[in-house]
Amino acid sequence: MATLTEAPPPLAPTAPQAEPPRRRGRWTPYWLLLPGMLWLLVFFALPMIYQASTSVQTGSLEEGYKVTWHFATYWDALADYWPQFLRSVLYAAAATVLCLVLGYPLAYLIAFRAGRWRNLIMVLVIAPFFTSFLIRTLAWKTILSDGGPVVGALNTLHVLDVTSWLGWTAGDRVLATPLAVVCGLTYNFLPFMILPLYTSLERIDGRLHEAAGDLYARPVTTFRKVTFPLSMPGVVSGTLLTFIPASGDYVNAELLGSTDTRMIGNVIQTQFLRVLDYPTAAALSFILMAAILFMVTFYIRRSGTEDLV
Amino acid sequence: MPLVNWFKRKFVVIAGLLTLAFLLLPNVVVTVFSFNKPKGRFNYAWQQFSTDAWKDPCGVSGLCGSLSLSLQIAFWATLGATALGTMIAFALVRYRFRARGAVSSLIFLPMAMPEVVMAASLLTLFLNMGAQLGFWTILIAHIMFCLSFVVTAVKARVMSMDPRLEQAAQDLYAGPLQTFLRVTLPIAAPGIAAGALLAFALSFDDFIITNFNAGSTVTFPMFVWGSAQRGTPVQINVIGTAMFLVAVLIVLTSMVINNRRNKQKA
Amino acid sequence: MKTTTDAGGDVRLSGISKTYGSFTAVHPLDLTVPQGSFFALLGASGCGKTTTLRMIAGLEEPTSGTVHLGDQDVTALPPYKRPVNTVFQSYALFPHLDIFENVAFGLRRRGIKGVKQQVGDMLDLVQLGEQARKKPHQLSGGQQQRVAVARALINHPKVLLLDEPLGALDLKLRRQMQLELKRIQTEVGITFVHVTHDQEEAMTMADTVAVMNGGRVEQLGSPADLYENPRSTFVANFLGTSNLIEAEVDSRSGEDIVLKAGDGKLVLPEARCAAPTTTGGKVLVGIRPEKISLTHADDAGGIPEGRNRITGTIAATSFIGVSTQYVVDSAVCPEFEVYVQNVDRDSRLAPGAEVVLHWSPAHTFGFDAAQSLLAGTTGSAGLDEEAAL
Repeated sequence: MATLTEAPPPLAPTAPQAEPPRRRGRWTPYWLLLPGMLWLLVFFALPMIYQASTSVQTGSLEEGYKVTWHFATYWDALADYWPQFLRSVLYAAAATVLCLVLGYPLAYLIAFRAGRWRNLIMVLVIAPFFTSFLIRTLAWKTILSDGGPVVGALNTLHVLDVTSWLGWTAGDRVLATPLAVVCGLTYNFLPFMILPLYTSLERIDGRLHEAAGDLYARPVTTFRKVTFPLSMPGVVSGTLLTFIPASGDYVNAELLGSTDTRMIGNVIQTQFLRVLDYPTAAALSFILMAAILFMVTFYIRRSGTEDLV
Repeated sequence: MPLVNWFKRKFVVIAGLLTLAFLLLPNVVVTVFSFNKPKGRFNYAWQQFSTDAWKDPCGVSGLCGSLSLSLQIAFWATLGATALGTMIAFALVRYRFRARGAVSSLIFLPMAMPEVVMAASLLTLFLNMGAQLGFWTILIAHIMFCLSFVVTAVKARVMSMDPRLEQAAQDLYAGPLQTFLRVTLPIAAPGIAAGALLAFALSFDDFIITNFNAGSTVTFPMFVWGSAQRGTPVQINVIGTAMFLVAVLIVLTSMVINNRRNKQKA
Repeated sequence: MKTTTDAGGDVRLSGISKTYGSFTAVHPLDLTVPQGSFFALLGASGCGKTTTLRMIAGLEEPTSGTVHLGDQDVTALPPYKRPVNTVFQSYALFPHLDIFENVAFGLRRRGIKGVKQQVGDMLDLVQLGEQARKKPHQLSGGQQQRVAVARALINHPKVLLLDEPLGALDLKLRRQMQLELKRIQTEVGITFVHVTHDQEEAMTMADTVAVMNGGRVEQLGSPADLYENPRSTFVANFLGTSNLIEAEVDSRSGEDIVLKAGDGKLVLPEARCAAPTTTGGKVLVGIRPEKISLTHADDAGGIPEGRNRITGTIAATSFIGVSTQYVVDSAVCPEFEVYVQNVDRDSRLAPGAEVVLHWSPAHTFGFDAAQSLLAGTTGSAGLDEEAAL
């Protein structure tokens, strides 16, 4: 506090009239920012503008494209691909919820109960990262393969009857169904949920649990009234870090799904790289971006944690 | 009811360990299937034990070439993103300047954007500029999306640094350059290292953005992707297992060294 | 740069001030710290004392005014070119360097070779010779504090600046380090400028104390002078406890002013009054709790003539060991505090007892009534404790 009132940061703006020659650092921040910002402007922001312009162009590959402000591309794209959009949101939301449900106990375990195993478990959570995620996703093909032990067990327990009735699986297959895609998404983005959860749980003073217990809260109440609210920043950033990449993903849908589980990422990829219908692909990707930004802003406002990064 | 009570007390531990098992199961499968000898082109069903693939990891054409390309790209992308990102992080924490909000959003947005969107728009740019897709376009893209993560990692470290340390250096006759080299940089080093490690992992493992902007160049993730369509050689599992082992080994060694150092201190 | 303790260790601040935007941290200030003295800047947090210190160190640029060290104008010199060193708040020891390298840092930056002997001697001076190869975080708070002092002193600065150097230590260690610092200062003879919010620390260590408040120096003087003759309510309350009575100037008799407080009369030596004394004017009269004698009303006849007296009722007592503290309600001042040494305890002095408070007029001080009675009391001291964390 003393530093706040008495000693502002050393390079706080000083009164312009007192500017001795040695304060030559006035331009330093701009020089430091310049290369990186240029990079982001040219290779992140500028492409967005190009894409916006592409999305309102008409023409063909042979004759070239011209900007004709053809906004109908957006309507056509939405009309044609709304099921994939819906699916992307549903799958990503399901995977996010699953990640939260699965990830919270593990993050809690590492933060409060792991003791001397804490570092080892942390290593085991991060280590799979170092094997290419495509290889690991392919492994799910083996795990969920028809007639494999997992599917066999689910069949014996009649779980597949229920999930098939719900439309999540098809007959006695798991592979090439929505369940497999959601499972792959959950698996792939789980660490992105666990790490922020762990970070915010770890900051919680363990004595708060004791205090809550001392004040007549049962363990479940303690969790509901103390631990969970205090871990909200981790929950918010974890869900964002899971939902955003999951909604744009097309790898899991491609490797573990079928044509009936195609997500919007698959469509964009196909339009761009195979069909070469650039305006439609650009429009789709713009709609996805807008939808995500809208949802994220709304979500951050609602959860009241605006200082995530 | 002792069993129920035991379960109640251990609920978090059991659930957490189950999640951990879920996380590690694919790695176990990858490892086990690296010793498989599949019948067809695909390595999804267990046939018989064999160490053939381990004896000849580069036996599939294009595999080791793509691996070395991925390592090269990851190396240069890490270098570029770490340098640029560290500079931005220092500017953000240590200086006041105009347009701070705009700079922060420009750094935040790439992290809040689905990869396909960035991939597609970047390809639009390259196509419009008539750029030759390949090594350079991949490198440009990787530096772009790694940058924000490096900034975040370094920023966290620099922010937790006591500004009085630099003032103390100045007070003890160190000029600006000396202060930076002898105090600021060594103390910020763990944050920079964390950012670099993250950048390396992100770049090495990136598929979506690379797939859009690689042209006919094939990185390791793209090789795996292609083989999922054409047939998965066992060598992929060998390399996946080796990467996992190397990573765990490095982390464990550094932990042991750290522990020993801590014990010496105590 | 080859700094020894020869002449020129005066610190002269002329018209120095610092503003941040619309906030004035330090109002134009003139201050001279004589060479070889132990000088304390005392005040609550936000009073501008640290900013003043940082301007001497060169870590803050003054908005106006100049800083002189001896005859040299150092206002435009960056910190690394000033023959001044600082012991930072919470020490700012370099965490990545060991104790030896921390202490050698300044010597090495000035390109001095063969630092081993010097560093060794310095570490011995602060009794840390054994710890040379440890990292700062392996030392206790008190040891870290001594490293910070050694790291600064080894450069033989003309002036050593100490920014709340003992703030992070517990009470017992703080006492010990106060004596230790005082010893070192006497030994090396360097000018020390010490910033603190702890009045006791300032009074025990410093030859001269400047009490700062709201970016201005309220009063400057020796600790005894400040304590015995405060010139404002802020100083009266910030250094120890004072009882303040509102009174009106009634008449004069020789060197003394006679004041009317309620029904009674109080006598105040004119030299000890910091306010204009026109008849009928309002004056605040102060007296320290330990200067007051307490006599039961039944024995009031035995009180010698010529003493200021006030009657009241004991509201509360608390036994402290060496003394007993009484709170007395009286017509002119509620909650009058009185500390009585435990020599012979009068058992009649219990809550509810009618008493007469009396003291020698020579201990009375007075100042302008147009200021807050509460300036410098616990409110701001509480803030300060927080800041020290």
